Amino acid sequence: MNEARFIQLLGAYGAELSRWPETERGGAEALLEVASHRLKDIWESERVFDHLLALETDTVPHSAFSARVVASVPARRPVVKIARPWAPWRAPQWAAGGAVAASLALGFAVGYAAEPVPAGSEFEQMMALGGPGAGAMFLTAVNDTGGN
Amino acid sequence: MTTSAPCVQQALGKRPATMHKGEGRVALMGRRVPVGTFFGGRPLSTRDPDEDLVRKIGAGDKRAASEIVRRHLPKMVGLGRRMLGDAAEAEDVAQEVFLRVWKHAASWKPGQAKFETWMHRVAMNLCLDRLRRSARNGGEVSPETPDGTASATRPLDDLQRKERVRAALQVLPERQRAALVLCYYQERTNIEAAEILGVSVDALESLLARARRALKAALSAERADLMSGLETG
Repeated sequence: MNEARFIQLLGAYGAELSRWPETERGGAEALLEVASHRLKDIWESERVFDHLLALETDTVPHSAFSARVVASVPARRPVVKIARPWAPWRAPQWAAGGAVAASLALGFAVGYAAEPVPAGSEFEQMMALGGPGAGAMFLTAVNDTGGN
Repeated sequence: MTTSAPCVQQALGKRPATMHKGEGRVALMGRRVPVGTFFGGRPLSTRDPDEDLVRKIGAGDKRAASEIVRRHLPKMVGLGRRMLGDAAEAEDVAQEVFLRVWKHAASWKPGQAKFETWMHRVAMNLCLDRLRRSARNGGEVSPETPDGTASATRPLDDLQRKERVRAALQVLPERQRAALVLCYYQERTNIEAAEILGVSVDALESLLARARRALKAALSAERADLMSGLETG
């Protein structure tokens, strides 16, 4: 590092080398060790200025304010643990397939059974007769139409 | 210069002759201050010191939240106060920063920026937003400028000097003030400060140099007063 660069960095970061870019500190240290009186005087003057700036210290926040900030932490939502006695057991993959197939089969069966019978059909008329002679009438009708 | 040798040694990280072994304090301008408190002493570790706390906060740990407030609230308030020049506004900014901490802790992914750097970025952006909003509304109040007349007649004490430094900071342009606050008072590295401000390191150095020159001009009387105090004392 040469003097010009040293003075440039001194003018930006001040005399405290820990604030300087890490890559420049070694060079600055080496230069300071062998620096001329003029350069050391410049450095010393900047150090005094650093001291002046350092008088503007942080103030400790009021405890009530600190407490208010801590109190602003949102309340943790309670985690409701649902008892799941089956949790350790995992259904095998084929069971899932079987369940789907069973659901389809059941749906088909229920749908088929619930299919509405058209109103006014021959079957309904026959049943409406309801009397004890209904069976005999049915047989007679069968004999009349197809029995020959 | 007779006083420079131990100071140079201190700047180089060596133990100066005036420092008592094991005491960890050095004599500096008539006062004994801990090593590293004078804008120095940054941790060398690269691991994020807040990582565990943030993880616990994300899991709803109130004690971890309390600890992170203890650790960072003074810095957040200090940043706000130096940027905005108003204690109440600084507290609003600090409160807002921590609300965002609570919100984002659970999703925080370590290994990118340090958590503290992220907090500084949030705080700085909130401050710059407020300053711009205030300027748009015509509400920017010209801060009290340092009065150099008193120093001509009688020496200043540290409290007066502090007030003048505080006032001089407020008249800096906001970008220069931001650079100086981050590097000098918030102890961010040049890389972190540049990242927070969204500028290159070269641009940051330029901001710092201009800020320092402006402050030297504004505080010339205080500086001379301090220098003469050192020479006579």
